[in-house]
Amino acid sequence: MVDDDRVFKALADPTRRLLLDLLFERDGRTLTELESRLDMSRFGVAKHLRVLEEAGLVVTRRSGRTKLHYLNPVPIQLIHDRWIDKYTEGPASMLADMKKTLEGER
Amino acid sequence: MTAPTTQIYQVFIKASPERIWDAIVNPDLTEHYFHGSRIEITAERRVSRGPDGTLRGDGWVAEYDPPRRLVHEWRPMYDPDLAREESSRVTWEIEPHEDGYCKLTLTHDNLEGAPRTAQHVSGEGWMFVLSGLKTLLETGGRLDGANARADATPRHASTGS
Repeated sequence: MVDDDRVFKALADPTRRLLLDLLFERDGRTLTELESRLDMSRFGVAKHLRVLEEAGLVVTRRSGRTKLHYLNPVPIQLIHDRWIDKYTEGPASMLADMKKTLEGER
Repeated sequence: MTAPTTQIYQVFIKASPERIWDAIVNPDLTEHYFHGSRIEITAERRVSRGPDGTLRGDGWVAEYDPPRRLVHEWRPMYDPDLAREESSRVTWEIEPHEDGYCKLTLTHDNLEGAPRTAQHVSGEGWMFVLSGLKTLLETGGRLDGANARADATPRHASTGS
């Protein structure tokens, strides 16, 4: 329910990351709208959305007869706080900055 | 990109519904995670004040159903640009789950007449408040500055309140 495993597993799939990006672009979309942006069956998209929902990354709301999908960014923030912040200090941060600077110069 | 006019944030917190409710309506607790604001919420009004007593927000309360559901007006006063916009609405829902966890869902909607406010509260805005609330209830710590990370020593919940 609350474990990081579900979030990591949900994020491990490129289609699910794409779905999150689509919701970030515009929140509160229906399955039909999301499906139209992917080369995948309605059933397949629904399955991915369910995994995202179980991981808490997507929250659904009913609006009349339609179900809207909303991005919930909190689990990613918590993972960031727990797993990323502490490793990005010091040398790792310096290398990341260096990469950014060098790649930005191209 | 414009911020969405309906925003939903959800977080699991290991605390009872009553403790979570108290942390939302009790100014002695809100000041630890809500940008230092002392927020008092009654069945009628939600009044938010800064540490120096200046008014940061004042709005009506539409639903007050402890410890499950709270709906209030969002009328920010801490910034003149935001204060000029139409007011919006915030809904807090607390649902108990297994293992002593509760699911807290915050919905900020009716933001159609308040694009600047929508931008201001989106992303890190509510996220910072909710992760601070979670930290306060689960460890008694504050999520700001030096305490934000790696402070594994659980402090007593009443410290500093």
